[in-house]
Amino acid sequence: MLAAACRPAADTPVVYLSDRRPLAGPVSEAVRPLRVAVAAVISPQGTVASYQLLLSYLADRLSRPVELVQRRTYAEVNALIETGAVDLAFVCTSAYVVGHDDFNMELLVAPRVNGRTVYYSLLIVPQASSAASMADLQGKVFAFTDPMSNSGRLYPTYLVQQLGSAPGQFFSRTFYTYSHDDAIHAVADGLADGAAVDSLVYDFAVAREPDLAERTRIIHRSPPFGIPPVVINPDLRPQLKAELQSLLLNMAGDPQGSAALQAIGVERFVLLNDPAYNSARDLLAAVRLEEP
Amino acid sequence: MSSPLLTQPGSHSFWLNRLWAVAGAVSIRTKILGIVLGLVLLLGLSVTFQVRATLTRTMDDQLQEQAVSVARDLAARATDLILINDLYALHQLLRETQTNNGNVRYAFVVDEQGNVLAHTFGDGFPGDLLAANSAGPDDHHHTIILSTEEGKVWDTAVPIFEGRAGTARVGLSEVGVRRAVTSVTGQLLLTTILMSVVGVTAAALLTWFLTRPILRLAEAAQAVGQGDLGQRVPRWADDEIGDLADAFNALTETLQRAAAERSERDQLRARYVSGVMAAQEEERKRIARELHDSTSQSLTSLLVGLRALGNACDLPEVQQHVAELRGVAAEALRDVHDLARQLRPSVLDDLGLPAALERYAADWQRRHALTVDLAMRGLKEERLPMEVETALYRIVQEALTNVARHAQATTASVLVERHDGVVRAIIEDDGRGFDPPVAGQTEQRLGLYGIRERAELLGGTLTIESEAGLGSSLFVEIPLPFSQKPGFSAKNLVSTESLNSYPLPHDSHAHPSG
Repeated sequence: MLAAACRPAADTPVVYLSDRRPLAGPVSEAVRPLRVAVAAVISPQGTVASYQLLLSYLADRLSRPVELVQRRTYAEVNALIETGAVDLAFVCTSAYVVGHDDFNMELLVAPRVNGRTVYYSLLIVPQASSAASMADLQGKVFAFTDPMSNSGRLYPTYLVQQLGSAPGQFFSRTFYTYSHDDAIHAVADGLADGAAVDSLVYDFAVAREPDLAERTRIIHRSPPFGIPPVVINPDLRPQLKAELQSLLLNMAGDPQGSAALQAIGVERFVLLNDPAYNSARDLLAAVRLEEP
Repeated sequence: MSSPLLTQPGSHSFWLNRLWAVAGAVSIRTKILGIVLGLVLLLGLSVTFQVRATLTRTMDDQLQEQAVSVARDLAARATDLILINDLYALHQLLRETQTNNGNVRYAFVVDEQGNVLAHTFGDGFPGDLLAANSAGPDDHHHTIILSTEEGKVWDTAVPIFEGRAGTARVGLSEVGVRRAVTSVTGQLLLTTILMSVVGVTAAALLTWFLTRPILRLAEAAQAVGQGDLGQRVPRWADDEIGDLADAFNALTETLQRAAAERSERDQLRARYVSGVMAAQEEERKRIARELHDSTSQSLTSLLVGLRALGNACDLPEVQQHVAELRGVAAEALRDVHDLARQLRPSVLDDLGLPAALERYAADWQRRHALTVDLAMRGLKEERLPMEVETALYRIVQEALTNVARHAQATTASVLVERHDGVVRAIIEDDGRGFDPPVAGQTEQRLGLYGIRERAELLGGTLTIESEAGLGSSLFVEIPLPFSQKPGFSAKNLVSTESLNSYPLPHDSHAHPSG
């Protein structure tokens, strides 16, 4: 296959480079696809790989094409939800809290992992690092995930503020990886001296790449926060909302749905109420965020 | 110039002959220059051609490899940008790709549905480009060559994220490669031209050294051919041409010696012939004088005696005998006079050539019953040297004798004229003529030989014009010494050689052999 692709084809098609024409816009499809946004908890390629089965499942059950929408930041995804540009979204805990309080972002279902609907922020350092707490990371390089991330930014900022400082002074340098798995890799590769990551992503990444566990070390675990939920625009048609909710809740009972859940490391989807996110809401209120 | 090639039959030899006709016609200098120029050009052009072909192939391969690496790099870096729909960053990436890779003509990214997400064309997008190439999800890459109005373009398609995020397309133009190849070709051609100039200059110098002795030899040989046997050439170098120069020098030396010997022999012979002729003339003169002075006087005395005897005796018988004897004596006296005149007309010595020739022409007409026209111009004012007069007299005598004996002519004409230091005699007849190279009978040949000998002894020439049935003409031209006429030397018509021959008859006069 490689050899066949290496040689140019014998015939040479004629193309006139100066023959410029306006580009045709995207073909409007007769059936509007269900647009599903996945916030960049993990890297875009990882997201595509993990969510492929879930999206296929939804498309199959709804008899409707499903389109995956990704954006670099949580804020961009929130904006898409607010304007109705996406129908369904997998967002981060803090993004939900902000969205809920801003424009009534509606909680549809929440995943249950290891029998619980909570997750933690894990403070990780390279395996060889001598740091035992956030205090030991003073003057070091720290990797944030997303400016809006609960586990990746809010909680470590909170820890630094508890030490009477602010990230800008406390760390020698900070940078954003915009996804949790990239933050784990940044620490594992020694690019950052520390990072705070989503415990779900960390467990999932370590399960897929066991050597990450050998190259990183957890030095602190936060109190539990409400698990990153599945949300919708408050104006979504009630019929579609009910259909989606029922479909997601019943996925675990279906072999194909079960496989799709396994691919994203979720046992099943469950109903959850907004108060489950109050701890995150409190944290958000307590933390004074600097401009990223 | 002959060549073994010329003798070979067949169509091959025709072209070889043509080639030789061209190559053989030019000088050695041109041949060597041609060979040097030909070899330098052949070498230069073949190296240029070879380098150009190899360079083109290598650079095309490199271009193709570059196309693949650039496209794969682009595909890898574009993945996340496409997934998070960051079209501005994608556009920046394409522009950077084009900026950082000199040969990249264009780059663009197509999504899964075949929509162009970003491209480097600015305004609009080339119509047929999108459909021209594609890559399957499992392809490493897929490269095709496109023919565009800007030349060939290596278009490489690489699937992005196994095709799930679309396809990256990169087009690498051959323009840079062609420019580099053209530049190298130009430099090689320039080098070839410079080497040709250097080679031709060196060859010109070399051939100048080589052909200078040959040209000098040719000049010397030409001079030898024109009689200058003193030519010698230096031995330029210790090689074949040096040997040739030595051989040439030896040859001319031999020739010079032989020429000197022949000249000496010729002089001796001329001196001998001249001596013989002078002796002959002296002898004739002496016999004629003897006949005139002695025999004529005796016969005259006899006639006087017989007249006295006739007067003294009245006997009719005696009278009749005396009359008869007187007739015999008178006839004998006339014969003796004729004989003396034929041997050496005293009128030639006393009155000069014109009178002698007039007398001879009258005698000849009378004796042979033929007509002769005698015309003389420029002879009256001053007498010619004695030896010239004698020679001309004998030449006319011999020529008219030949006419009478062999030509079967009715009329002859003799013209003797002196003109510009040359005396010329033309003897013509209307007889049967003869073929000059063969020149008739032995006797006639001998006569002509005598005429030529006399003319040449005085530095003159004989020209014979004759054709069977159309009569014959003899042209004799004898130069005169300077002293004969003022302004003669200015004409410079007489060679040293002809002047040298003059003293010989004088010498023979000074020392008569009889």
